[in-house]
Amino acid sequence: MAMVRIRPRRRSATVLAVLSALLFLVPRTEAIPEKEYQVKAAFLFNFAQFVQWPDSLFPDKDSPLVVGILGEDPFDSYLDEVVRGEKVNGRPIEVVRYRSVGQVKNCHILYIGASEERRVAEVLKALGGRQVLTVGESDLFPRKGGMVSMVNRQGRIRLSVNLQAIKSSELGVSSKLLQLAEIVPPEGG
Amino acid sequence: LLQIRKNSDEGAAPPDWRRIIPFFLAAALIPSAGPAHAQDRQGSITPDEIKQMTLEELMEIEVTLVSRQPERISDAASAIQVITAEDIRRSGAVTLPEALRLASNLQVARVDARQWAITARGLNQTLANKLLVMIDGRTVYTPLYAGVFWDVQHIILDNIERIEVVSGPGGTLWGTNAVNGVINIVTKEAARTQGLFLEGGAGTLLKGFASARYGGSIGGRGHYRVYGQRMDHYSSDLPGGGDARDAWEMIRGGMRSDWGLGDYGTLTVQGDIQAGEVEQPAPAPGPVEVNGQFLQARWSLDMDGGSHIQAKAYFDRTWRDIPGTFQEDLRTWDFDFSHRIPLGGRNILTWGTGYRYMQDDVENGTALAFLPARKDLQLVSAFLQDEIILVPDRIRLAVGSKFEHNDYSEFEVMPSARLSWTPTPSHTIWSSLSRAVRSPSRIDVEFFVPTPPVPDTFQRLEGGPGFDSEKLTAFDLGYRVMPWKILSLSLAGFAHRYDDLRILEQADSTRFRFVNGAEGEVYGLELSGHLQAAPWWRLRGGYTFLYTDIREMPGLDEFTQPGSQGNDPGYQLLVQSYLELPWRIEINGAARLVDELPDPTVPAYFALDLGAAWRHRGLEVTLTGKNLTNRRHPEFGPDPGRKEIPRSVRGRVAWRW
Repeated sequence: MAMVRIRPRRRSATVLAVLSALLFLVPRTEAIPEKEYQVKAAFLFNFAQFVQWPDSLFPDKDSPLVVGILGEDPFDSYLDEVVRGEKVNGRPIEVVRYRSVGQVKNCHILYIGASEERRVAEVLKALGGRQVLTVGESDLFPRKGGMVSMVNRQGRIRLSVNLQAIKSSELGVSSKLLQLAEIVPPEGG
Repeated sequence: LLQIRKNSDEGAAPPDWRRIIPFFLAAALIPSAGPAHAQDRQGSITPDEIKQMTLEELMEIEVTLVSRQPERISDAASAIQVITAEDIRRSGAVTLPEALRLASNLQVARVDARQWAITARGLNQTLANKLLVMIDGRTVYTPLYAGVFWDVQHIILDNIERIEVVSGPGGTLWGTNAVNGVINIVTKEAARTQGLFLEGGAGTLLKGFASARYGGSIGGRGHYRVYGQRMDHYSSDLPGGGDARDAWEMIRGGMRSDWGLGDYGTLTVQGDIQAGEVEQPAPAPGPVEVNGQFLQARWSLDMDGGSHIQAKAYFDRTWRDIPGTFQEDLRTWDFDFSHRIPLGGRNILTWGTGYRYMQDDVENGTALAFLPARKDLQLVSAFLQDEIILVPDRIRLAVGSKFEHNDYSEFEVMPSARLSWTPTPSHTIWSSLSRAVRSPSRIDVEFFVPTPPVPDTFQRLEGGPGFDSEKLTAFDLGYRVMPWKILSLSLAGFAHRYDDLRILEQADSTRFRFVNGAEGEVYGLELSGHLQAAPWWRLRGGYTFLYTDIREMPGLDEFTQPGSQGNDPGYQLLVQSYLELPWRIEINGAARLVDELPDPTVPAYFALDLGAAWRHRGLEVTLTGKNLTNRRHPEFGPDPGRKEIPRSVRGRVAWRW
């Protein structure tokens, strides 16, 4: 059963099969993302370039770098178009949609959208100590243990990071990215 | 919705009223000048552009309120308004003319259930003939009267990416008919309409509609969508109430596919077929029947050094049978090519050429006739424009001309010069001087009433042998400003000088004919704006003022019908409001105030539309009330005989997978 939503273009062209499979897929939202989400899609693409994952996280040397979207997808096909044809260290970038955190398997960047915001703590707990760059979009997200948040401040997107969460994941996050971000102390800390 | 979502990071945060009240005050003060819209709220950036940006650049992008920075000087130095997909969705519109009401620089009047009189900058008629309308580059006017049959321009509105409405001439780039304005309807790329989309609805004036669309991909390089729609409308009202018997229905199906050809550019192939039927009141012997088909291919290629070429070809057929009046079968073949070349950093040269062949075949009745019944028309054109960057990022000038040859008035030249000055990124002052022509159409030259032969004692219209083009010289001056991030305003003033406008001349006691016999001026102001009053409240709209002075040229034995040059309101005001409430509820409203039309008199009217929408995941439920403030009102046409538009309610459910 196809629970993971891959890009439509990779689906079989057989319309009937697609229609029946669609019943199990995450519904789409808007056809054109708001500009905010165009910019956030570009940030996600940038994160792929500014973060280093150990090779052990990729099945082989041509395996794609996976950008996961958990819950409602505000990007529509825009994110797919941004990463189309792009490579990071020789790896293509693939966008995968997940309905629940249980489906998140081989994923490098996980966007935890507004629809999952209330469950952030559970989601992060379910991810355990896996080396996934977790990306949210509220001020609360890094305080709750998320790594990077793309926050809308007076109409511009600002990055807010939880340095401790990044350090404990042992991901190599470029200092360039950290310089541009606001550093948020974790809750209670 | 998205802004609400941000607001509700910590649950649905209630609005902070102390911060909001000043916005109410501001909004209350602005309408006297015309609140409103400015440019494209979406301000889309292409994926290719955005991924080139640095993190710093991304952080500088304004995401909540955006003025679409026009890329072409023809946009920068013209009175352009953009209706976004979001504006259309919010308005609850399901037909194209309803969506066009969202551009405050257009005069849109619903004549009856299925006819609209639409123009920019005045001279409006049911057979308005000075507006160029294109859907994905395909011209949709008929050479019969150089206007648009709006009833067959049906399109699933969810397929529309944006509608660009330019008031003022666009002849230099677009050619004949782009006299008072250009409407350019751009549909979404197939990649943007992937998956399944279903919508349906019903109402009291709009009887019912249902659309289905499916988008998929082929081999990773191409995307497609296929779609179909059926729409049924009830009749409009007679003045005292009662059925005007003009109910109609349309059914349409089509497809679009976009292909990436790698180094060989991109290819778009699209086509539609449609058919419909319109009830006619007695004594007409039967309903009007229409059908049409088109197929279009468009290929474009970006080359090294920033040059861009595009080639387009289409075939379009429309057929219309008005029993007892006439039947028309029109086939159009159109080819065009354009090339944009940056030269030396300071110049961008654009040139192009086009050829159109139209085969118009009319079956005449006894009441009126187009003679000859069958006419083949050719249109050959070429244009050249240079955009010159006089001061980088500050002053740009575009000069160019279109050269065209048609079968009636032969050679036409449509030059223009446009200058834009951007002293700071939030201010643009622009001006243009241009010439445009409305070349003769069949109705001007070959129209006979009643159908010959006619006894000499009968009054009759005998075409317009020797009818020449109607000409416009236009001066525009405009100013666009974003005084604060939440407000953008655009003001355009214009002076139009018309020569050789069409009038009906009385040749002797019984014979009438069309001649180029009127001239005059139209002056106007178009103010539009956009206000983000609060993160959850947005206003857009505009105010248009028109002053028309058209008169017969001296020395003519004239006979002019009332309203023959058009019938325009002195002013019109549009305010649209989008309000976001918690729990994904939207309250959307649109109010229009349209001044009296002078000749024939149509009373001023105020119309209020209100809608509520609830969105959850792919589901959207909308309830819209239209013309709520009056039971029925006329918008166009002489009394008696004209139709009125009743108050109506409609519901719509849409679902996306």
